[in-house]
Amino acid sequence: MAGSIYHHLLSRGVTRRDFLKFCSATAATLGLSSSMVPQIAEALEKKERPSVVWLHFQECTGDSESVLRASKPSIAKVILDIVSLDYHETIMAPSGHAAEKSLHDTITKKKGKYIAVYEGAVPTKDGGIYCFVGGKKSIDTCKEVAAGAMANIAVGNCACFGGVPAAKPNPTEAKGIRDIIGGTVLNIPGCPMNPENFTAVVVHFLTFGSLPALDSLGRPLFAYGKLIHNNCERRPHFDQGQFVRQWGDQGHRLGWCLYEMGCKGPMAFQNCPTIRWNEGTSWPVQAGHPCIACATPDNWDAAYPFYQRMKAVPGVGWQANADKIGLGVAAATAAAVAAHGAIRAAKRRKECSKSEDEGHE
Amino acid sequence: MAKIVVDPITRIEGHLRIEAQVEGGKITDAWAAGTMWRGIETILKGRDPRDAWTFVSRICGV
Repeated sequence: MAGSIYHHLLSRGVTRRDFLKFCSATAATLGLSSSMVPQIAEALEKKERPSVVWLHFQECTGDSESVLRASKPSIAKVILDIVSLDYHETIMAPSGHAAEKSLHDTITKKKGKYIAVYEGAVPTKDGGIYCFVGGKKSIDTCKEVAAGAMANIAVGNCACFGGVPAAKPNPTEAKGIRDIIGGTVLNIPGCPMNPENFTAVVVHFLTFGSLPALDSLGRPLFAYGKLIHNNCERRPHFDQGQFVRQWGDQGHRLGWCLYEMGCKGPMAFQNCPTIRWNEGTSWPVQAGHPCIACATPDNWDAAYPFYQRMKAVPGVGWQANADKIGLGVAAATAAAVAAHGAIRAAKRRKECSKSEDEGHE
Repeated sequence: MAKIVVDPITRIEGHLRIEAQVEGGKITDAWAAGTMWRGIETILKGRDPRDAWTFVSRICGV
């Protein structure tokens, strides 16, 4: 159908084969069966591109960069082509009044038909004077744009939960979008968010006309339903008490568990180990750095210090999600579970120091 | 004497405002303003220096 997303992609040089690969990959990210691929393809073949207004508040533009560097297959094109990005300060041509007009035109002419994407936190201290764009306070712009949006999506930890600007002592009293506008905000946290999760959410919305299932923090369960620790490729080393003790030691070179170096994988829910980054090339833990729980609310304090071992690993099952167990270390898990975890951790530490003695020098 | 205001300056992020004073077709004075503040210096106070990079690398992601 002319004007459809599929038509648009073809006109931009995306082949039918690449298009179907994209549909399959997105179905996989969403945790859908491959039998759903035709339905996704059909939706993208028929639907017009939804209008997107992308706002920047207290942020670093890392989430925009993340999307612009999305790749699967040539997704830098797909992501920018499955949506009609009507306002985005980093990549739009107009500046000044012309830019303000683009925003105004979109939210008035397409009222109730655009998706609002928020990147960055909103400062609330002193009446919200710490972030202005186009002479308007971000808190006012945020409310104005949200009022006419058919869906509100917060991308990155700042827009979802406050992120870096909200780290103690939160000098500007920065807040996530949900705390500003209330109602349903779909949160795609991470620092930055993973672009494939964003694409999957948009495709879900186009295919089924609804947002995917969310946890109590507004995060889609397909992406944030599993604990990193439970899906980590280094997990067998944790279970066997094989830990990295020092940067560059034998364990580090062998890819052992980073728990002792401060890894917060046991409190972090995200699909990094499965979809990874940069076309599935790698992710922080695979590259040898501890997880900093960047998709967790308040991680800049709750997961801090980043290079200090977590005091306890909550005992959680494979099927647990953030709603069932609370937020890891910060949450009061059942005493029995905590005790169980502590005993196991102590046991592992003992085994670990034994293996360290054997493994070194 | 006219004053030109360009806000937001796009394509470098949105948080930049330029004001220029124009006299006889020439700019005689100009002001630039960063219009967003997070206080990352304040947030870093008292934290372990080894963790500083995780915060300061988020000053700008472009």
